[in-house]
Amino acid sequence: MNSPKIPGSLAFRAVLVALAVGCAADAALAQRPRFRRPDGAGGRPQPQQAEPEAPAEEKKVESWTAIRGGDVYLGDGTLLRRATVLIGDDKIHAVGHEVEIPEDATILEAEGKVVAPGFCIVKASGFGAPRSGEDVRDGMNPFDPTIKMGLAAGITSFLWQNGSGNDKPGGNSSLVKLAYGDLEGMVGPSDSVKTMRVPLNPQQMKTFRDLVKQAREHQDAVREAAKDDKKPAPKPPRGTEDILKILDGETRLWISMGGGSRMFRGGGDGGGDDTTEIRQAMEIASLLGRGVVLDDPVCAWVIADEVAATGSMAIVNPRNRVPSREGFEDSTGSNIAQAAILHDVGVPVAVTAPGGRFGGSGVGTGGILGQDLNTPHVDAAFAVRGGMPNRQALRTLTLDAARIMGVEARVGSLEVGKDADVLILDGDPLHYKTFVDTALVNGKVAYVRAEEPYYRHIRR
Amino acid sequence: MQLRDTISPLLAALALLAPWTATPVLAQSEAGTQPEPVELFLGHEPDEYQVTTFGPEQIDSPARAWKAARVLPVSGPPIEDGVVLTRDSKIVAVGRAAEIAIPAGFEVVDLGDAWCVPGLVDLHCHIASASSDINDTVFQANPEMRTLDLVTMDHPNLRLALAGGVTTVMYIPGSGGNVGGFGTLTKTWGRNPNEALLRFPGCVKIAQGNNPTRRAGDLGATHIGMNANLRFALERGRDYHLAWEAWEQGKGPKPERNHGLEYMRGLFRYEYPVCSHSQYFQVSGVTLSMLRDEFDLWLVIVHGTFDAFRHVDGAVARGVPICNGPRQYWVDPEDGRFWGIAEAWRSGGDVGWFDPQQGLGDDAIGINTDSPVVAQEELSLQAAMAVRLGLPERVALRGITINPARFVRIAHRVGSIEVGKDADLAFFSGDPLDPRSHVAATVVNGHLAYRRDHRHPRF
Repeated sequence: MNSPKIPGSLAFRAVLVALAVGCAADAALAQRPRFRRPDGAGGRPQPQQAEPEAPAEEKKVESWTAIRGGDVYLGDGTLLRRATVLIGDDKIHAVGHEVEIPEDATILEAEGKVVAPGFCIVKASGFGAPRSGEDVRDGMNPFDPTIKMGLAAGITSFLWQNGSGNDKPGGNSSLVKLAYGDLEGMVGPSDSVKTMRVPLNPQQMKTFRDLVKQAREHQDAVREAAKDDKKPAPKPPRGTEDILKILDGETRLWISMGGGSRMFRGGGDGGGDDTTEIRQAMEIASLLGRGVVLDDPVCAWVIADEVAATGSMAIVNPRNRVPSREGFEDSTGSNIAQAAILHDVGVPVAVTAPGGRFGGSGVGTGGILGQDLNTPHVDAAFAVRGGMPNRQALRTLTLDAARIMGVEARVGSLEVGKDADVLILDGDPLHYKTFVDTALVNGKVAYVRAEEPYYRHIRR
Repeated sequence: MQLRDTISPLLAALALLAPWTATPVLAQSEAGTQPEPVELFLGHEPDEYQVTTFGPEQIDSPARAWKAARVLPVSGPPIEDGVVLTRDSKIVAVGRAAEIAIPAGFEVVDLGDAWCVPGLVDLHCHIASASSDINDTVFQANPEMRTLDLVTMDHPNLRLALAGGVTTVMYIPGSGGNVGGFGTLTKTWGRNPNEALLRFPGCVKIAQGNNPTRRAGDLGATHIGMNANLRFALERGRDYHLAWEAWEQGKGPKPERNHGLEYMRGLFRYEYPVCSHSQYFQVSGVTLSMLRDEFDLWLVIVHGTFDAFRHVDGAVARGVPICNGPRQYWVDPEDGRFWGIAEAWRSGGDVGWFDPQQGLGDDAIGINTDSPVVAQEELSLQAAMAVRLGLPERVALRGITINPARFVRIAHRVGSIEVGKDADLAFFSGDPLDPRSHVAATVVNGHLAYRRDHRHPRF
């Protein structure tokens, strides 16, 4: 067989990685360690970020796809104009201006188009995934039509969640990829996220502290046991399994603020202040020595520095509406600038669609456009309205969303070695008129606008 | 059962018999399609208003010169480096800053790079008070109810409306009953409700099908009951109006005053329109035939979502304007197409029938939010979503300014930036339809009603 000249030689790839990383606007990312443990002695914990796993051995690529000539958003805030994305089988193989394209590659021309990572949605349901169940595989329908509708909206993966923790971490989760028709390709890493909620009452807080203490003692016992080959590894104490995963950095902990101070659709007045709950979540982060994910805070903008100091991240709907308490406008109430304020102090943010019965977590067909998941880029656009720079706002749907879901080693940016989940768009990713022309999942074309009924009739 | 369900098999059979009729008509919104303008029926203005109350035509406001990088007057071409002079709640001049001398005594407010557009207008709003307060369905039709007494100028949702550039709303009762009551046309800012008032009644709110469907099984549980009930309410109103008219012309005895029907008189005198919430195919058909043909009322369809647009030919024939929202899309169960509802109303075309239908054109399309279903401040997003699905931008901007103002005959006051009109202005940081642009300032009746606080912006 005619072997193509493979541009993926290690040296070449190293150059590309260096190019990509060097271009990153966020200098801090350049030296990001893998699962870096927070430095207790003075250093400030950083939000967690894992690198793509290098394959154990160089696998021979069977099929090449090149997306050529588009303006490429890598997903980390970097834009490469008129660049090429080379996909080897299901992974990103190279990205850059001088990528050599193998002769037998399938070429997707993207001249005049925009290329971006597929959107990663932190809160969603549907897309062929079951409502509940222990293992997402058991109820998956890879031919669910909402998968195509999700791809039309730019969504290539989301976090499926089953159940949730209450006063301690719980629930199970799985990354679901919108690989239409490919059951195995639809299931990503599982249990990258555990959830719990605040506020905890003093008794619950004490129980939680005790569990963390037991988990740490168990870690010590495991280390001790490792020194002696004959000694069997100790079993983790009951109830600490999920906390151990969080301590080990395998799992991200999402903490819901309880939603106690919400005003939805104009009814009620909860005072508009959840800083007490946020501070308790920060206390939990300190106990664990790791950043947590604040799930839908209202007032994280008021204490953004405190959130940043723990290396935590946040899930935000920029359009969340909670009125300020009269006379306390500077320190209460929701704020459309919350995403921008958090971003400014180094807190990664993912955006969600507004909740409620007209949209929220699905594409559906009975929602309201601009309120449901048919336009996730509009939610990121509202982060820009609140002051976040345009390119950074794309991260709320790509790299930072993936970090929040604990799956950034697999998805969220067009980095070499990550899953080839790529969008070819007909314009600026965050412009309200932009449509997905082509979506690839795991390196395969999964959606072509001109071939599906949803939006092909719309001409300008 | 919907009418269409009944007809479809017949149409399918016809299609088999006559293959030429089955040739698919090209999709909506072919590039370059420009529908013919439609003459709208907006009532005949009465010589004398007997029932209606108007707010103040003019109030005091400081003399100011508002400068912006770009002014979109809507009534004319964009003005680069523009200035708008306002005094005593009115626009006194508009033009290029280089060409307009700012008179002494005018305070200059420079909004820098902002785009200045007319304050936005929404004809379907429920938020000038707590929205739980507007669905008292004692009867299936409640013409004795009105929103006027509820308007609360410092309601938090109205403050948010200003942060979205919305300055005029038709504040209507809910859709719990066939006749919800009478709506109020009000500005979103004023030192008191009287000052903010444009007109009361702004309209009567009629809701057709679905929302007013009573679930308890009493009258109004079905379309047949609701139609009978609505017709009965309108007939009572018309009889009352005719009795007064006869007495005024010396042709009959003086009728006894019926306070529950008083505002129905103004409806038949064309003092204000019906705003009918008609969102499905069948109910929009009944709306058109009953309200226009049977009762000859001044009709505006609002909340014209879902597949109501399949009646576009009926709306064109009767000159009925449409406000649609908040949905903006309707997914055709037969082919999975995401219809852009506003564009379908505008350009017509293949709307599910064999022959392409004429559209309503650029001047008969409005956009509404149904706030708080979609937040009032997101009116411009609703327009943007209509554009996403095919509506031209220029029409979308008209659809949230001059068009709805015209539908309810307040275009002499609001909806465009022209000398003599109310000084209602919204300053966006960029393209007003792009959700990434924010409102830097909103002016109502010449007063600075909102200025963005960059640490804690409202929206």
